Amino acid sequence: MPTVCSPVTSALTVEEVTGAGAVTTVAVAPDDPLFAGHFPGFPIFPGVCLVECAHRSALATAPGGGHLELEAIESVRFLEPTFPGDRLTVDLRWSSTYPALTCRAEISSAGGVVAKIRLRYSAGEE
Amino acid sequence: MLSTAEIRALLPHRFPMLLIDAVTDLVPGRSLTAVTAISANEPWYAGLPDDLTGPQLAYPEALLVESWCQAAGVLATVDAPNPDVLTGRVMLFGGISDVVFHRAVLPGDVLHHRVRLQRSVGGTLVFDGRSVLGDAVVMTVGRITMALRPAGELRSGPRHAVAGAIR
Repeated sequence: MPTVCSPVTSALTVEEVTGAGAVTTVAVAPDDPLFAGHFPGFPIFPGVCLVECAHRSALATAPGGGHLELEAIESVRFLEPTFPGDRLTVDLRWSSTYPALTCRAEISSAGGVVAKIRLRYSAGEE
Repeated sequence: MLSTAEIRALLPHRFPMLLIDAVTDLVPGRSLTAVTAISANEPWYAGLPDDLTGPQLAYPEALLVESWCQAAGVLATVDAPNPDVLTGRVMLFGGISDVVFHRAVLPGDVLHHRVRLQRSVGGTLVFDGRSVLGDAVVMTVGRITMALRPAGELRSGPRHAVAGAIR
């Protein structure tokens, strides 16, 4: 089963789920404790937390139910920095090459696309 | 060997986002090993339900990557320390390829991040390596790209200036 521990405390909202994908939103909480250390006097949302937003969105909306285990971060392109208070939209698309399940996520803020992420999952144990 | 005090003189990261504890085996410009001790006393373990199973208490994969990247950050900056992101340079993530998670990490685990600088071109650095727990490989890193950019460019310039630097 996936870990429930996460560096992202901001709330994730599932906006839409279709057969092929989903859309979620995350409001990057300005008072998230991690900003105190990333960085002092200059808060910036860690790039790995964008990956975590995609991962949490995938777990929340994956087709077919069952437990997914994150096998790999296949690729990430970071296009823009993100900051406290940004409202992020996570657009997910699923594809599968048995036995793996691939999730492509495009994360956008008000200014445009901030990251493109591809994650690979396998079906975990119940 | 770099202690936590020496790491803090190199990196701007602070609690709760300073995720490496010491550095060993440093070959400047080439490679290093960083040590990090995973603890149940980190903030992401706060406020959790009492009935969680072992796998549900595993260390977040995103933070394994972040910890490894901070080790890469030390390798990138050890010859030019500047922990003040307000006036100096800040390390920005460019991209990630083929990071594979091989086993769960739990509190009590002491990880060794092995980082190799693959190449450095014009302020863009490419790293690869792995994280190990004793003899067991926990995570392999195909490629992580970072760019060292002036902090002033990030704070005052338009966002696309940063994006242009990353691309």
